[in-house]
Amino acid sequence: MARALRVRVDHTRCVGNATCTTIAPGVFKLNDDRQSEAINSVGEPEEIILKAAENCPVSAIRVEDAATGERLF
Amino acid sequence: MATTIHDDLFAPDVIADPYGYFGRLRAEDPVHWNAKYEVWVLTRYDDIVWLIRHPELFSSEVFKRDPRPPYPPIPEADVEMYGFVREFFADFFIQHDRPSHTEMRMVTHSYFTPRAMEAWRPMVRAAIKDLLDDAEAKGQMDVMQDFATPLPVLVIARMLGLPEQDRRFIRELAQKLLFIGRGDLNRMRPLTDGIKGLADYLSPLIKERLAHPGDDLLSVLASGETRGAFSRDEVVANAVLLLLAGHETTINLICNGTLALIRHPEQWALLQASSGLAVSATEECLRYDPPVKSLQRIAAEDVELRGNVLRKLDRARWFIPSANRDPAKFPEPDRFDITRDPNPHVAFGSGIHHCLGATLARVEGQEAFSALVDRFPALHLTTEELEYQPSITFRSLKALPVTWN
Ligand code: HEM
Ligand code: SF4
Repeated sequence: MARALRVRVDHTRCVGNATCTTIAPGVFKLNDDRQSEAINSVGEPEEIILKAAENCPVSAIRVEDAATGERLF
Repeated sequence: MATTIHDDLFAPDVIADPYGYFGRLRAEDPVHWNAKYEVWVLTRYDDIVWLIRHPELFSSEVFKRDPRPPYPPIPEADVEMYGFVREFFADFFIQHDRPSHTEMRMVTHSYFTPRAMEAWRPMVRAAIKDLLDDAEAKGQMDVMQDFATPLPVLVIARMLGLPEQDRRFIRELAQKLLFIGRGDLNRMRPLTDGIKGLADYLSPLIKERLAHPGDDLLSVLASGETRGAFSRDEVVANAVLLLLAGHETTINLICNGTLALIRHPEQWALLQASSGLAVSATEECLRYDPPVKSLQRIAAEDVELRGNVLRKLDRARWFIPSANRDPAKFPEPDRFDITRDPNPHVAFGSGIHHCLGATLARVEGQEAFSALVDRFPALHLTTEELEYQPSITFRSLKALPVTWN
């Protein structure tokens, strides 16, 4: 069983670059302001979610282990 | 149009002080039709962010789609050269829309992650030290020529994996490409020479990287051909883009930022006292006097904005200096405050074209400002007569002569 993740996008940072929605479309979606929302934290495998977080150009994505709160990105 | 403001974007007073002119437009006529240059001029923060985050309404394919002559104008005899320049630039992925933009950008996007760029910090710091050692020996410098101009080329050439001994040659060609944004009447000749020279120089290196890929940025870029994102011509053009996009821009960050710090001695002293402020100081330099003045889009369809209709194929320019000083977004916008937080400036644009090199530019700015306050505590101007290039694309000083004695 894959562990449960908590994925959040910091809207004070997100510039709507849409890299996360390209890399992990099952998790991230742009809202009406063209900023990213994490709509489904099980929409992609963990490694894809971490790849999206790493590729955010402004480090707006935070990923945690939902059970332990450990910061994964 | 509810304003009496003139339309000469190249008037000396507008070049000297864009904040006054574009600030008035922002207040009086934020979506202004500039009849002289046949272009919509956008000046409000919210409008600009909205425009650049709707790439399906506002195309980046300016060179491909805009049939109008360049502005400021060029001599009749140079029109053919302009055709060549235009065709070459149309291959830059900054000039592409989706879906090809995404495909092309993703080739090098992962090279520039914040984490990956942090690993280059020591190299940037060492390059800065070398340049400032040379300057120190002379007792004075032109921040522009002696420091800000060589630095970004040194850094990107190293990333691309270009041979050390070619540095001088690359620098000379890269300098010719700076003419793109410098409104000079006779800019087409150096531009054409610069492009051809760089393309000739890079082509065999790219061929070599395709046969024997390494881990340098040029290999990463060339891999885009292998995976079908680029044609060979597009690989060459986008290698030139990587050299070009970070050149004038980083020069201006360093020069405009240094000038702002010099003109605000209490902020200079603050940065000197707490090196931890280098990050927020660099953001404030990017906001307060941004390297890029304006960029253009082409309306992909009729679009309504604040009661105006922008017709399909109309040109729309968004002015970063006025967005970054919009009082609706930034409290006390004309105050230079290196501790400002939050600081959601748009110096790097926004949306899908948000600057690929933003993190690299930030690292260069942070290291440059830290080194200057650290090594030259008494840095001051040797003249108050500073001039700017007559450009609406860049906010570029012509020179920034300083001394520290
Ligand atoms: C302070 C320095 C810099 C500033 C102010 C700056 C500014 C910008 C801006 C405003 C854009 C958006 C263009 C648009 O929306 O049409 C952009 C895009 C771009 N920048 Fe920068 N830039 C800087 C440094 C760099 C560096 C060092 C590189 C080198 C790799 C670079 C490479 C690019 C590229 C490739 C694009 C196109 C991105 C795309 O279309 O997806 N920039 N830059
Ligand atoms: S990659 Fe980062 S900046 Fe881009 S949309 Fe996603 S969260 Fe926003």
